Amino acid sequence: MRPEALQHGPSLFGRLARRISFVLFIGAALLVSAAWYYAETAANKAYDRLLVGAALQMAESLSVEDGILTARLPTSAFELLGLADRDRIFYRVIDTHGQTLTGYDDLKTPTPLERAQDPLSVEEGVYKGEPVRIAHATRILADPAVSGRAYVIVAQTNEARLALTRELTLRATILVFIMSLLAFAGAMLAIRYALQPVEQLGTEVRGRDPHDLTPVTVDVPRELDPFVSSINHFMGRLNERVDLLQRFIADAAHQIRTPLTALTAQIDLLGTGKLDKAGRQHFNRVKERTSELSRLTNQLLSHAMVIHRADSVQLEPISLVDVARRAYRVAIPVTVDPDIVISFEAPDDRPFVLGDAVSLREAIVNVIDNALRHGTDQRLEVRVRASGTQAFVEVEDDGPGIPPESWEKATQRFATSKSHEGSSGLGFAIAQEVANAHGGTLGFRARDEKGFTVVLTLPLYKGEVK
Amino acid sequence: MIRICFAFLVAGFTAAQALAAESNKTLFPAVQSGAGTLTIYSTTDLVAIKPLIEDFQKSSPDVSIDYNEYLTNELNALASEACRKGEPLGDLLLSSSVDQLLKLANDGCAAAHTSPETLRVAEWANWRDEVFGFTYEPAVFVYNRSKVPPAEVPRTHVELADLLRERLDYYRGRVGTYDIRLSGIGYLLAFNDARQTTTVFGRLLESMARASAVARCCTGEILEEVAKGNLYIGYNMLGSYAYDAAQRHPELGVVVPRDYTLVLSRGALIPKGAQRADLGARFLDYLLSERGQSVARTNAFYFTESGELPPGVDGPQNLKESGVAQPIRIGPALLAVQDRAQRQRFIEDWSQSLIELNSPAWTRE
Repeated sequence: MRPEALQHGPSLFGRLARRISFVLFIGAALLVSAAWYYAETAANKAYDRLLVGAALQMAESLSVEDGILTARLPTSAFELLGLADRDRIFYRVIDTHGQTLTGYDDLKTPTPLERAQDPLSVEEGVYKGEPVRIAHATRILADPAVSGRAYVIVAQTNEARLALTRELTLRATILVFIMSLLAFAGAMLAIRYALQPVEQLGTEVRGRDPHDLTPVTVDVPRELDPFVSSINHFMGRLNERVDLLQRFIADAAHQIRTPLTALTAQIDLLGTGKLDKAGRQHFNRVKERTSELSRLTNQLLSHAMVIHRADSVQLEPISLVDVARRAYRVAIPVTVDPDIVISFEAPDDRPFVLGDAVSLREAIVNVIDNALRHGTDQRLEVRVRASGTQAFVEVEDDGPGIPPESWEKATQRFATSKSHEGSSGLGFAIAQEVANAHGGTLGFRARDEKGFTVVLTLPLYKGEVK
Repeated sequence: MIRICFAFLVAGFTAAQALAAESNKTLFPAVQSGAGTLTIYSTTDLVAIKPLIEDFQKSSPDVSIDYNEYLTNELNALASEACRKGEPLGDLLLSSSVDQLLKLANDGCAAAHTSPETLRVAEWANWRDEVFGFTYEPAVFVYNRSKVPPAEVPRTHVELADLLRERLDYYRGRVGTYDIRLSGIGYLLAFNDARQTTTVFGRLLESMARASAVARCCTGEILEEVAKGNLYIGYNMLGSYAYDAAQRHPELGVVVPRDYTLVLSRGALIPKGAQRADLGARFLDYLLSERGQSVARTNAFYFTESGELPPGVDGPQNLKESGVAQPIRIGPALLAVQDRAQRQRFIEDWSQSLIELNSPAWTRE
């Protein structure tokens, strides 16, 4: 079995085509049979008239001369029959005593002459081993010398009839064939046309923004209405689920943050004075771990929020410089080491991108935070710039950087090699999720004499800015 | 009856004809041994057919030909009998009485044959691809130049009838025609004469009867007597024989009538179940071929459908174009000619008017 056969069911078009051609074939066969039947009837009728005509002419030629029944068979009767130019002709004239006057002595009608009802009827028969059509005519003689019934029997072979039947049938067959072809072609076109809305509906649904869970409003034929309303019903339910999930995330964030904040405050309230050296060491470790937990929770929530926002928030044009500056302010703590040189650089024209300001800010905060924690020795630069169709947020530090072979790993969740230093490993993952959701990328530039750079690339917004 | 007449007639034949009739079987041995013997039953005079057979043997040297000559009615009787018994007579039948051949074919005694040559046959001379006409022979008048003054030479049927009426005494007993009781061709021609739309045949028959016309079995016999001067005019002679005789006897004149001319096509038929039907078909194809037709035109039958009349024949320049030619169509209408009651009646009428009432005692048989 071919894999395609498994993947795709039979096409609607193919099924319709097969059924229609089957119906057309049956129809054509019936029509051709009917044509043959009518052709045969017509041919028989045409030539039977000649046969009857000839029989009548021959009967007419009977006369009584000197008290004797005489037949002067007219040549025209034979010429009439000769119109079927390849057919053999047999005839017999029977006098009032039932004796053969002339012709073929052994020629008989299938029904005995005395019982024949219709004088113009023509019958099938066999004579000299050949199938023939047999006609007869009766002449009633009322001469004193010869009185009674005299008969003329005329038979003719079937060649001309068969030839005419074949010719008529052939022509009808050609017509039927052409008609069937036309009907088939027409039906195929009609089916293709009729199936177009299905295709359109598919394109419409496929091309939808994943966040767009509003009902489909494409114009479809009445027959597709149930299908469309099913889709819309499903989308409605999906929308409800997404709303539920959003609420859950918000609740979770709230529920975890509050006790964590309380916990941090409680730890801060604990003095270190009463502790001995080992106790102080433990206390500091608890404090660090709590701070790590707090950060991890924030990052987890931030990650969840970013994912949720990517699926549910409509993107709008925003100034990348504003977003980056805000992130810069959030990310650099007041308690930063005064020895570190920190700078923010932005171009004069403010590049706009289509995006979600909250997610983007979160992403940039994470990148800067990462640089501060793990990279920066003495210098940290944040730059926003635009070039061509793209806008860039670059975060450069003078730390050791990440070797190129670890770049791929660095953006995976919880995959950092520096977890012992308190990294949760979610920072780059969040930044990359956001970049992807905005049609951009998160990249690295290898360390040079100045430093190591993390680059967030986003497509520039082309439209009007309100 | 026919036998007796035949015997009687044989006695009256010229030496050559008598010889042919007595030993009516002639064998043309093959030049090379091989294909076998083709048996032909024919009514055509040996003299006429000989050039054709000899030319045929040039192209088919491996075929021997057994040629059997009969009178038309005799041949018909033999062939019908043979067909009834299911023992085909020979491999090819040639007869000038096409009506008899047609009757045989209608009775299912013929085998169909088609070939590129048969396709060339005119539609009127082919029935069911079983009976083929292979010659084109007008029925002509012949006259003796020393007996019939040029001014009196009849050129139409009417002129002949008038001539016989006007010079009744001079032509009494000096006009010859077929005895249709004996000759199949004579009957066929007379029957077709009687079918003409004009009443001219009736007048002619009446005139001939009053002039005590003489009836003979065969063309040859009448031609001889006209050549000798015993008879002055011969009516309804076969053109081919008449022209052949005229070449041998310069005093014979040949006239193709200008009002209407019956044209007979000699027929050929391959009997059903013939042992060497293949050879029969081969000879038939030869007869119909360009080459056979050309030999026939120069040596055997002289007249052709499309060409001009042979030199020395008085008549319209071209039979076909002048429109006087009335070919006897090889078709079912000939069955009417062959109807036995018809035939009996026609012959009775004819005999009554021509023979029994008027002919002088010395011409009666």
